[in-house]
Amino acid sequence: MSEAAITTSKLTKRFGTLTAVSELDLDVMPGEVVGFLGPNGAGKTTTIRMLLGFLNPSSGSCRVLGSSPSRDVALRRRIGYLPGDLKVDPTMTGHELFDWFGTLRGGVDRRRVDELVERLGLDPGRPFGALSKGNRQKVGLVQAFQHDPDVLVLDEPTSGLDPLVQREFMRLVREAVARGTAVLFSSHILPAVERIASRIAIIRTGKLVAVSTVGELLDKARRRLELHFAEPVSTAIFDGVPGVVEVEVEGQIAQIVIDGPVGPALGAATEKATLLRINNVGDDLEDLFVSLYDGSGHEVEEEQ
Amino acid sequence: MLSILGQMVFRRRFSLMWWSLSLIAVDALYVLAYPPLRNNASLDKTFSNLSPSTQTLLGLSDGTLITSPVGYLNSQFYANVLPIVLLIFAVGLATWAVAGDEAAGTLELLLANPVSRVRVAAGRIAAMLAMLLALTLVCGGALAAMAPLVALNEGLPLYRIITATVASALLALVFAALAFTIGAATGRRGTAIAVSVTVAVFGYILEGVAQQVGFLHPVRLLNPWHWMLSSDPLGHGGSWQAFVLPLVVSAVLFALGAIRFASRDLR
Repeated sequence: MSEAAITTSKLTKRFGTLTAVSELDLDVMPGEVVGFLGPNGAGKTTTIRMLLGFLNPSSGSCRVLGSSPSRDVALRRRIGYLPGDLKVDPTMTGHELFDWFGTLRGGVDRRRVDELVERLGLDPGRPFGALSKGNRQKVGLVQAFQHDPDVLVLDEPTSGLDPLVQREFMRLVREAVARGTAVLFSSHILPAVERIASRIAIIRTGKLVAVSTVGELLDKARRRLELHFAEPVSTAIFDGVPGVVEVEVEGQIAQIVIDGPVGPALGAATEKATLLRINNVGDDLEDLFVSLYDGSGHEVEEEQ
Repeated sequence: MLSILGQMVFRRRFSLMWWSLSLIAVDALYVLAYPPLRNNASLDKTFSNLSPSTQTLLGLSDGTLITSPVGYLNSQFYANVLPIVLLIFAVGLATWAVAGDEAAGTLELLLANPVSRVRVAAGRIAAMLAMLLALTLVCGGALAAMAPLVALNEGLPLYRIITATVASALLALVFAALAFTIGAATGRRGTAIAVSVTVAVFGYILEGVAQQVGFLHPVRLLNPWHWMLSSDPLGHGGSWQAFVLPLVVSAVLFALGAIRFASRDLR
């Protein structure tokens, strides 16, 4: 595989006594989407702002396409950036912004801009201040994608987008990835990146707590099932069943959390009661994610 | 740099138009008010009895009569109102150039483009200079055009109205440069405005007081107000202190601000 498009090594940022990012090691390869996840205030945006050269690292280093973002200005022609908190002069229209930025990046690709505008359903003639949150986000996306960059740094890109536009956006990301673009995609919620990211990096209070593929995380994830019975049940039916770590019962419905294979628990449920229906509540990574978030995920961390 | 400059001017074209129209209206007001004042000899007595420091602040040194064109324009306009109006205009632009844009959160997106921070700073300083120059020429030009209508140019070459307006703008520029530097170096918009305006007001007061307070005399040499007022650009054509010194000081301030801005963390 070719060299990483984004590399950080022991990247650290301190603001006075607060360490916002601590010894972060992260690589993003060309043609790869890395989901950069963590609760609000975990250090995602600080990391991203160092990658764009807005902040100087306190120690450690970061490189984008082989050069230092704070020194190499020309490098930014090859980066597309969507800030988490997008601000544009409220009197400026989308077209004015795309033309201006296009010029700064060495030329406007009108056809590409028009294509993006149409696919996202944006009215580019309206001033930014008159746009809804979702439409503002579209302005941010167009300017991030318009020059077909080699690296995309997207800070909470899906916030404010309706589901249809989100899907179109995901298509844009996939197309970019197919062209070999490296994508760092930050979010504070998992479902936003789960389907598109090849790897997930989870950051909490400035430290990486896990980096692994979605598949690996899924293997480690505990499953949360909702079982509906024909009659009221008690928690006792799951006593001593291997893998069951949590049981909650409300009348005929039991919610169980299973670590590992689900077979034994289902066996117990069908043996000791009349099982009617199973709802898969937490087959995604949300539970694991939450446990990593709140700091109870040491187990996972150690297995890394 | 041109696209940075052009963008800043373009976004402020209406604001610049309104400032220009307002200053033309102010010019017209001064022209209209001159004829009744010129024939009021008692005013000359009143003003000639004022303390020398007050006379200096009014630009009435060397026995210039307030009813003369130079005395009238200096005391009512060039020694106070005009520099302060231009200062408000220029400090606003200079503060926005980095700190204001940064505080609004809009600077960051621009800096994600392949433009260096020095280029952004230079483009915006150039835009501010261009707009200040435009406003200065409009204001001076309009006054020079209207002055002959009421003999406001008796014993006063019309070009002096232009050069005196330029001198006021250069005075304003020093404080704008200070605002730029503080804003660019710290990213703090409020601090930039507060410090630069305070220094300007302080300088104005000092120029009046220092004349009578011996130990303050040397301090006057550091005071941009003194550079302009003591050389009387309207009555006597001014000196290098009124024209060159502000440019040099501003250039140094701009450079210091841009250099610090280039390497610091954005807020």
